[in-house]
Amino acid sequence: MEIDLQGIVVIVGNYGSGKTEVSINLAVNKKRAGVDVKIADLDLVNPYFRTREARSQLSEIGIGVALPPEEYLQADLPILSPVVAGLIKNPVELTIIDAGGDDAGATVLATLADAFNGKSVHMLQVVNPLRPFTGTVKGCLKMRNEIETASKMTINGIIGNSNLIDETRPEDIYSGYEFVKLLSQESGLALKFITVPSNLMTEIDVSRFSCPVLQIKRQLVPPWKKAVKLS
Amino acid sequence: MGKVLMKGNEAIGEAAIRAGCLNYFAYPITPQSEVAEYLSRRMPEVNGNFLQGESEVAVSYMIFGASAAGERVFTTSSSPGISLMSEAISYIAAAQCPAVFVNIMRGGPGLGGILPSQADYLQATKGIGHGDCRLLVMAPAGVQEAVEMVMMAFPLAEKYRNPVIILGDGLIGQMMEPVEFPDHLKSEPSNKDDWAINGMDTRKSTERNLVKSLFLDPTQLNDNNLILKAKYERMKKEEIRYEKYNTDSDYKVLIVSYGTMSRVCKTAIDQLKEEGIEVGLIRPQTLFPFPEAAVRETALKEGCKAVISIEMSMGQMVEDVSMSLQGKLPVSWYGKCGGDIPTPEEVIDAVKGLNV
Repeated sequence: MEIDLQGIVVIVGNYGSGKTEVSINLAVNKKRAGVDVKIADLDLVNPYFRTREARSQLSEIGIGVALPPEEYLQADLPILSPVVAGLIKNPVELTIIDAGGDDAGATVLATLADAFNGKSVHMLQVVNPLRPFTGTVKGCLKMRNEIETASKMTINGIIGNSNLIDETRPEDIYSGYEFVKLLSQESGLALKFITVPSNLMTEIDVSRFSCPVLQIKRQLVPPWKKAVKLS
Repeated sequence: MGKVLMKGNEAIGEAAIRAGCLNYFAYPITPQSEVAEYLSRRMPEVNGNFLQGESEVAVSYMIFGASAAGERVFTTSSSPGISLMSEAISYIAAAQCPAVFVNIMRGGPGLGGILPSQADYLQATKGIGHGDCRLLVMAPAGVQEAVEMVMMAFPLAEKYRNPVIILGDGLIGQMMEPVEFPDHLKSEPSNKDDWAINGMDTRKSTERNLVKSLFLDPTQLNDNNLILKAKYERMKKEEIRYEKYNTDSDYKVLIVSYGTMSRVCKTAIDQLKEEGIEVGLIRPQTLFPFPEAAVRETALKEGCKAVISIEMSMGQMVEDVSMSLQGKLPVSWYGKCGGDIPTPEEVIDAVKGLNV
């Protein structure tokens, strides 16, 4: 089952829900399928582990990455590059906007209202039920409300990203799928896809899912580990 | 409850709650602001207190006040913020009040940068405040260990009636790992009658408590310092913690490294093993008291020719390593301190460069 997404896709969710890993791997997945993809790192609140860490790998496979200017990449203050607004106004086949965490990280989206004006946008909430505050439907809906209020935009889909990084077990994937399915029913939001870490792909029975699966090759790793090669 | 995936900063906040600490005062600074972010959500759920001070100086005296009142209390900050708190830390130690401080270190000196560093080693272990005061210093290497150390820190601070500091580098705060929380601790310090100024009603003793750090009489001041010194000597006997890695092998080189830096070293040691080169590692989990005897004994194993201290600083812990070795083996240093963490390959080069 292919992931059916085109146009502007804004990835939101709570801190550490996995927005950046999802954004990077979604970009690679669609690029492989022949789609023209660009990705913008809009994470103005997180100091480490951002899309920018994977920029050289992404560029190598022909995915454009919109970032603040090089000299400000390590700045400890929010910098919104005008390139992002330009990208939204003139999107490519698939334009992925990787927002920062929680309502604080989503606030920046509201400042881009002019650019978003009149555009159809998929705004997708990444949910990892094994993270604090989003282990219940109520918690996820609270996060949804907070993000919608801060961004002045409407979430219209869910991405299930149940994982414990290296310690993810198949049962975490299956129970995470059941959770986001329930969340989808309760919220009326479409379940766009779920994720499975690349090392578990052979163990997982994807026929148990009624939605597409995105394989995750982890890119944001601590320095004693190696990122899984994207290409 | 099973495992959850948490950022170190969040886990530190949760661990404090599980340790029965319902008072958190803080001032934001990268890379530890998520502790405040997390506890601003969680403290109201458990009827705890979170107050953002107007500065780190204000926060540090809120800590002193709450501790003097017999409450479990903690704060988190990063390097420059801890410098601002150092006056109060000395007062708290002198007044023999317990408190827990967490330093998620960033690059320095000065405002430095926001990426990981271990450059506050000397500050934490030897120069945390003016006067003859010391803190018990614990250094986690992962999120789970950060949880365990935070939960140990409160009872230890009360046991010694002295501040305890958790020294983590920026990665400890920012990285995400699966964690499991142990059972809750009792919420009340069991010995608070010994220092707390919370009224006479509930106290068993009829002696009044006095929290102070001013001793104008030189004999009294010397006596107070002798009490503190005795506590620090007791810490050296009872609180030393460390971990060893690959020390069953016939290693020619011993690495001493702590915090997340030690995990890079472990990866390097595994890769060197594949090349047929054996290297051992000792990781101090307490930095004060420093595991001097353990470092010396591990280094003096037959066949070990050199010791190298690998740090995200310009050579700080290496001084304690050299003191431990007492000149019996050559001690060198390798490190970086700008936010770039040495890679496993750079550690391998540093070890090979010793030519032993």
